[in-house]
Amino acid sequence: MTTPFALDWSTYLVLLIGGTIILYLARDPAHSALKALFDGLYAGLKLAAKALQRTRTLLAERNRDVLLAQGREQAERDLEKEFFEINKFVQRDLGGYPQLQREIQEQVAKIQDDCERSREVPVAEPDWLEAVESVSALKNGEKNTAVNSKILEQIHSSAVQQHKANLAAYRKESSARHSILKAITPYWRKLAYSVDEVGERLKEIITRSQNIDNHMARFEAIIAGTDKAERALKASAITQFVIALLVIAVAVGGAFFNFHLIALPMSEMVGSVQRIGGVKVADLAALVIICLEVTAGIFLLESLRITKLFPLIGAMDDKIRRTIMISAAVVLVVLASTESALAFMRDQIAGDLSNLRASLAGLESQAFGQGGISEWIPLAANMILGFILPLALTMVAIPLEYLLQTGRSVVGSLLEIVLATVAICLRMLAASIRQLGKVVISFYDLLIAAPLWVESMVLSRKASANEKSYSTELSKTQDF
Amino acid sequence: MKQKKPNISLKKLILYTLFSAVLISGCSDTPPESYSRGVYLLLDTSGTYTRELHKAQQLINYMLAMLEPGDTFAVARIDSGSFSEKDIVAKVVLDSRPSMANKQKREFAAKIEEFVTGIKSSAYTDISGGILQGVEYLNESKVGRKTIMIYSDLKEELPEGYVRDFDLVLDGFTVQALNVTKLRADNENPQEYLDRLSQWSEKVVEGGGNWSVINDLDKPEALTI
Repeated sequence: MTTPFALDWSTYLVLLIGGTIILYLARDPAHSALKALFDGLYAGLKLAAKALQRTRTLLAERNRDVLLAQGREQAERDLEKEFFEINKFVQRDLGGYPQLQREIQEQVAKIQDDCERSREVPVAEPDWLEAVESVSALKNGEKNTAVNSKILEQIHSSAVQQHKANLAAYRKESSARHSILKAITPYWRKLAYSVDEVGERLKEIITRSQNIDNHMARFEAIIAGTDKAERALKASAITQFVIALLVIAVAVGGAFFNFHLIALPMSEMVGSVQRIGGVKVADLAALVIICLEVTAGIFLLESLRITKLFPLIGAMDDKIRRTIMISAAVVLVVLASTESALAFMRDQIAGDLSNLRASLAGLESQAFGQGGISEWIPLAANMILGFILPLALTMVAIPLEYLLQTGRSVVGSLLEIVLATVAICLRMLAASIRQLGKVVISFYDLLIAAPLWVESMVLSRKASANEKSYSTELSKTQDF
Repeated sequence: MKQKKPNISLKKLILYTLFSAVLISGCSDTPPESYSRGVYLLLDTSGTYTRELHKAQQLINYMLAMLEPGDTFAVARIDSGSFSEKDIVAKVVLDSRPSMANKQKREFAAKIEEFVTGIKSSAYTDISGGILQGVEYLNESKVGRKTIMIYSDLKEELPEGYVRDFDLVLDGFTVQALNVTKLRADNENPQEYLDRLSQWSEKVVEGGGNWSVINDLDKPEALTI
């Protein structure tokens, strides 16, 4: 098979030799050109890698500043909240402490009084002791003995009588003391309860003060800009970002469902033929309604100071803020009611369309509007969802705020990683190109290996000849 | 320096103008016609083909169920001289409101029912005239996608004196031959059937249209327009 460019072997040989000679002759400039090209590429890539690395460092610093600023703001808010809570607690619970103290003092005083009253009165000495002593002092005798025994009998009987009287009095007094002590019991209980209550309240204060300590420690770490604080904030930001993203995804699903609920009835209102940018005007109108609901929800939460997407609204005068809040709430309720009505309309249109299709298919269409259970349950569900979904969508402002707040640092971190990766790749590419340059120059020399070998032979011979002549001249000089 | 300032502002002005033009063109009203569909269905009423018209009625009902607000639909009969508005049995441009469109569809279906019930077969079959009438009708209605459906055996028979020697202009049209039944002669010599199909196919393609044959009407996807 011959081609238009077919050449015989002699021509190839001539071309090979000629090319080799040309390459050999152009060796130095070719080497310089190749070196310059690869060195230039290497330097360019290295420069680009350095620039990217510098940008990454600047971005990292910026991200760190943003993260710490956000963390500081959050820590300030947490501290403020804790102080507010503890202040409320002190005002509410410990504000009544003087009253409690007075009550405790009164209880203690009453208990003291009762203790005094219940003290045991010492029993008086028996009257017959002196009589016994007198009898014992009498001289013994028959007469005396008889007198003594009589006296002693009388003393004994009076002693017994006195003992009985004393015992009765003692029992009476003991009973009185016991009743007094019994009356003290509720006071003791009240006192113990009051003391326990004070203890519980103090525990609450201790817990809150520990919380404040933790927040303060975090705040100080953020202010100091420690790596630990930065890592904690970054981890927190990523977690919050992911959670907010998930919630937003759920909200988008809700909005999508809501859209389908009102798109069909909207076509009954604005028609379904006109289009803007390829999208039906009815669909756009439904989207606008959903966007309005979300906007009203954002304004409502802003005016309630739940979110801080628009600090201007939060900083407004209370009267204006309340006006915005009421307006947003009214708009929301009106839109929700409208959607509920549209959901009703959708059910009617869908029923009509279903009947039409059934009649066109030759089936007996079910009479629509008879109010069967299978008819009103979907209708009611549609209407309820039409009313609830807009209200539920208002809550999207909270995850949206988190998403925007944390998105900045998360996207910044991702960008950092991308920049670092690209910088590493560029550096690797630069190193590879440098090596490739060396390989290409070596390959160039490989192509002209034959002339180079001849050149080295010639040079070595020339060198040996020079050496020979030099040694001859040297010997001549020595002889001379 | 002072002389350069107007240049910068001029550049900005041009940029802003271009940007605004892009925005306006992106957000401007797209003509609804470019999205609407137009279907012109020709029904063969010649000879024994009238027996197939009940099947055609089902097809019409299916088409009615599929069409959306803004679409145009017309049903015309193929008789001895079909190039006439009088042969249009029913026509409708569906209202932009779904409820009104449903009402129009019901009225349309009623007209077709009436037509199919009282049909009288024609002696001849002027398919070319019917197609020409359909082309005119759909061009006038300014729809985005134009489809002419021919419910016929495609055997053209013209009365004496009728000339249908013209080229069809079918740019942007899709012509679908539906339920092309085989005649007794086709069974004796199938080549006649194949020749008939290829003749119509050539005529349509030469006119710039797309040609397709759908004999299995039970496949809903085959009738997608």
